[in-house]
Amino acid sequence: MMRSLRSRLVLSAAVFAALVILALVPALQSVFDRTLEEVVQQRLAADASTLIGAASVVDGRLEMPERMPDEEFNLPEAKLLGYVHDAEGRVIWHSRSTAYQELHYLPFYSGNRVEFLRIRDRTGSEYYVYDVEVQLSEHELPLSFVTMLPVSEFAPLQRDFTQRLRLWLGGGLLLLLALLWLALSWSLRSLKGVRRELQEIESGSRDRLSDQHPYELTRLTRSLNGLLDSERLQQTRYRDSLADLAHSLKTPLAVLQTVADNLRGTPDGGEQARVLQDQIERMSQQIDYQLQRASLRRSGLVRHRAALQPVVNRLTAALGKVYRDKTVHLETQIPRGTTLPMEEEALLELLGNLLENAYRLCLSRIRISARALPEGLELVVEDDGAGVPEDQRLRVIGRGERLDTSHPGQGIGLAVVQDIIESYQGRLSLGDSSLGGAAFRVWLPSEVRR
Amino acid sequence: MKLLLVEDEALLRHHLATRFAEIGHVVDAVDSAEEALYRAAEYHHDIAIIDLGLPGMDGLDLIRQLRSMDRTFPILILTARGNWQDKVEGLSSGADDYVVKPFQFEELEARVNALVRRSSGFVQAQISTGPLVLDLNRRQATVNGDVVPLTAFEYRILEYLMRHHQQVVAKERLIEQLYPDDDERDPNVIEVLVGRLRRKLEAAGNLRLIETVRGQGYLFTGPCR
Repeated sequence: MMRSLRSRLVLSAAVFAALVILALVPALQSVFDRTLEEVVQQRLAADASTLIGAASVVDGRLEMPERMPDEEFNLPEAKLLGYVHDAEGRVIWHSRSTAYQELHYLPFYSGNRVEFLRIRDRTGSEYYVYDVEVQLSEHELPLSFVTMLPVSEFAPLQRDFTQRLRLWLGGGLLLLLALLWLALSWSLRSLKGVRRELQEIESGSRDRLSDQHPYELTRLTRSLNGLLDSERLQQTRYRDSLADLAHSLKTPLAVLQTVADNLRGTPDGGEQARVLQDQIERMSQQIDYQLQRASLRRSGLVRHRAALQPVVNRLTAALGKVYRDKTVHLETQIPRGTTLPMEEEALLELLGNLLENAYRLCLSRIRISARALPEGLELVVEDDGAGVPEDQRLRVIGRGERLDTSHPGQGIGLAVVQDIIESYQGRLSLGDSSLGGAAFRVWLPSEVRR
Repeated sequence: MKLLLVEDEALLRHHLATRFAEIGHVVDAVDSAEEALYRAAEYHHDIAIIDLGLPGMDGLDLIRQLRSMDRTFPILILTARGNWQDKVEGLSSGADDYVVKPFQFEELEARVNALVRRSSGFVQAQISTGPLVLDLNRRQATVNGDVVPLTAFEYRILEYLMRHHQQVVAKERLIEQLYPDDDERDPNVIEVLVGRLRRKLEAAGNLRLIETVRGQGYLFTGPCR
């Protein structure tokens, strides 16, 4: 099936125009033929009149002058033929040029005074024949004055006309198609405009479609805008209610935590406090993890791209503040203009968790680097800390695992990282860094499949 | 030190206020951003602990407002979600650190102490001038390694003066460090306490570090590190 609207329109218009023009050719041709025959008839009538004018009857016999007033009747090579037949059909006079002809024409005395017809000689050549019945004097039988011209005489004219007709109509068709193409391009430009705006929306550089479209499209663009607005609103509401949910779940947990703190201070409360503490942490981690997952669902309409450098800048500024006591030497190797096919919030969570690990575990150096690979992009966060022993690496990048337990409630970081990367069809691996510590490598495809 | 606590959950607020008071801090505990702005305008706090999810004006706006009022004390945010969007927004609005709910009190206390220490320009958990060393974790003073017996109030005044060494500290500021409420104010108490503190320091190592600036307050003259 043809997918392009323009191709469909152009093809159907071209077929339609070609059919119209093909139908025009025989119609015009027949009009031309009829006009030509009328002209021929008038000419032959005029020649017959010349013959009649020249004829006289003396003693019942036809007398024609030696030299006819029309030169063509006198010339032996002339194309114009002239005959006079008596009432029995016998030729009683003929012009000079008829000497070489073997024409057998019998006048047909119908009572009609004039006949115009086409006849064919023995060789197959066609002739226009003009035949007038005339009674030159009373009591005489009528005579038939016949003038003829070969049809072939007009063949070049006809050929020439046909050729010109085809040329003009062909040219006209081409011109029509070109104009059609232009008109279609102009009309379809508004569709192109919609397409461009949609691309801008997908790439995140535009919020909604503009109002500058033809009214045939406004229903579509309004519906799309409505859809976009409602999705955005939905997303905002969704995130707000997630934040509310987090607040309303985690604050009571914080209160419970204070109870655990208090219990720990009592003589027999130690064991109970420990149990309570464990449960609080488990619940807190589950809430964090599920909420993070829920908030990072990808939106359907808009295909996001987030610039890496600004996100890195925001995070390192924030983390630099938190880890101010630790003089961290930060090294970034990010090619200018690097973007990732993900939502900015997701990138913020992904990098935030990796970078916080690095800031917490490094001695003094952190390196953030990105490089383009043939089918994607690799993002590496390295530090000069203790690193992760090889036998624990798989466990570390699993769900909810914490090697370091000094930060309660913050052990879901890597699980969230893993989830984000998976939802964008990427991969996470953990290895050694040349700085001496851990190297978290994130590979992301350049385009995320829907 | 004087601490501004902004938390809308009454139980948590009460618990935190009690725990901080137990370890010798004066706590201004409020449940809304509006009340917090009023307190911050009225008193001099050493640190603020602000919950991000406040009803009405939220925590982020409160932080921005405090910073626009030139309140430079460190701010620690309590966040429920613990996502980076919130943390980065909080930190870039002017907060200095964050703690994700739920948290153990010791964790919060350590972060608060670190922030206050840092904001006074001290890297270590000790402030020293000559033979006098103030241990911020143990909350005790030593001269040449010997503990100077100080009451909780005397310690608070000494810590505040040493944090603000080389600066004239008004009596009202010192009162704020001791009492949470206005009605308990009595400038004579400060004079009595400072007098006792001077005697104890002199007895311990012949140290004369606290000067009276007439009509203005007190000046801790020792260069502190």
